[in-house]
Amino acid sequence: MIPTTLRRTLLFILMFMSVGSIFFASASGSVSLGWSEWLTAIQDSSSQHGELIWRLRLPRALAAWVVGSMLAISGCLMQVLLRNPLADPYVLGVSGGAAFATLLGMVFGIAVTFLPWLAILGALISILLVFGLARGTGPWSGTRLLLTGVVTASGWAALISLILSLSPDNSLRGMLFWLMGDLSYATLPLWSLAVLAGSFILTLGLARSLNVLAMGETTARLLGEPTRHMLWLVYLLASILTATAVSIAGSIGFVGLIVPHLMRLLVGSDHRILIPAATLFGGFFLVVSDTLARTILSPQQLPVGVITALLGVPLFLLLLNRARLKGV
Amino acid sequence: MTSLTCQSLDVRIAGKSICSKLNLELEPGQLWGLMGPNGIGKTTLLKCMAGLFAADSGNVLLENQAIDNLPRRTIARLLGMLQQHTVYVFDASVLETAMTGRHPHLSYWEREGPEDKQKARDAIRSVDLTGFESRSVTGLSGGEARRLAFASLIVQEPTILLLDEPTNHLDMKHQIRIMNLVETQVARQQHCAMIALHDVNLAARYCSHILMLFGDGDWQAGPKDELLHQKNLERLYQCPVESVQTSTGKRFLPRG
Repeated sequence: MIPTTLRRTLLFILMFMSVGSIFFASASGSVSLGWSEWLTAIQDSSSQHGELIWRLRLPRALAAWVVGSMLAISGCLMQVLLRNPLADPYVLGVSGGAAFATLLGMVFGIAVTFLPWLAILGALISILLVFGLARGTGPWSGTRLLLTGVVTASGWAALISLILSLSPDNSLRGMLFWLMGDLSYATLPLWSLAVLAGSFILTLGLARSLNVLAMGETTARLLGEPTRHMLWLVYLLASILTATAVSIAGSIGFVGLIVPHLMRLLVGSDHRILIPAATLFGGFFLVVSDTLARTILSPQQLPVGVITALLGVPLFLLLLNRARLKGV
Repeated sequence: MTSLTCQSLDVRIAGKSICSKLNLELEPGQLWGLMGPNGIGKTTLLKCMAGLFAADSGNVLLENQAIDNLPRRTIARLLGMLQQHTVYVFDASVLETAMTGRHPHLSYWEREGPEDKQKARDAIRSVDLTGFESRSVTGLSGGEARRLAFASLIVQEPTILLLDEPTNHLDMKHQIRIMNLVETQVARQQHCAMIALHDVNLAARYCSHILMLFGDGDWQAGPKDELLHQKNLERLYQCPVESVQTSTGKRFLPRG
């Protein structure tokens, strides 16, 4: 953990990194732009390079940033909800439902522009299914929610495998890209910005409650939290964020697990600082990953999910190992 | 003055009666010891008094209102409970954790001010954890975690304290330290406390009143001197007990 006094500075650094990453993404790609080329291009959106930046790269970078932030917040919330630092946004089946609906849409040749709505629909069905089955009447049970969610997720995974095994070869590539998470066709609808902004403000308002909820349900109740309501609110909030992110970019892995974790190692578990830090770093991380996915083997594009895993896993293991050496 | 009342309270768990028709009032300045053998239901009864476990019949009244009808936030400002086990899953500093006691007193967006921080520091000092403020809670020993949980409870400033085996995992020095703290809180600030204890002699030294749970719903409550004697203890623990007179009063030893 870094000293408390440096936390504010860290947020400024993360903000700077986020903005920097978006500029970096707009300059790099199959046509790489130098500083002066970039400067002239960005002033003239009708020029060839200007169009490349304004119509293609910036929207994609912004979409990456928004998706990364949403997954990071969702990951923080899921970890509190299940009281497990290994929980990620997908553990309760939200992305499985979205993936199944989307792949089904692809099989039936539904237009690409409608696929995000199918993803949202599938995610909502999964959210309500898990909510309805796990809610019960008794006190809150994290274990029941976890089991219901995990089993639902396995159900979706089986259906996804079924679709994949029955689909013709020529559609498999698109499906696999979607499943690994891909921003090539991502568009950023305005309402998703509203979802991100709204959830961020709400989560930040609940931050102190999240700290208390992370200490366990009984402790939280004794400290004045109406836990049943609060935990369902956390579940719904996390699920809506995940559903929105998945509808934009497919199920990009590791961001929702690794970003909250890295930030926890850096700033500790106070959600008043953890949430903004994870939001900023999640955005930054996905913009950089996506830029690498576009450029490493350019003109070939890789699914960004591969990059997040390839970058995230070693980084995570390294930090975890160093943290252990210091006796944290 | 806040008081906690049990009105003909029936508490059952898994078909087993813990207490039937329990009538009891915790009044300011009283320090109650809750005694009974393992698994008799002391924790469940404490949880019931904290509004965390529903009674079969009867009421728990906090400030003359049924505790089930009060919002948790209101309860948390008046009543605090130390749970039997303290497990910290997520990394946080000792100071941050002590400060969570301020949670019920702060509004939605409010942050802890210097005054809250001072209260947390004072509480940390009172449980002998000074110097641990920036340490991580996940690295604390069992006894240290226990003392920290007690510090959070002090920071919460409840007038009614429910303590579930507060001296668990503590060495002799810290057992006395914690019990002294409870005693001072109760005597000086006219708080009241109910403490589940296994150590008969801590009860003999510190408690003013005793509630004994014998099983099958059977209970006895009253001033310490009336209840804490050899015959009652032998009945309670089903083992022979010897009473010894010491300079600070009667003490009890199991006779092997």
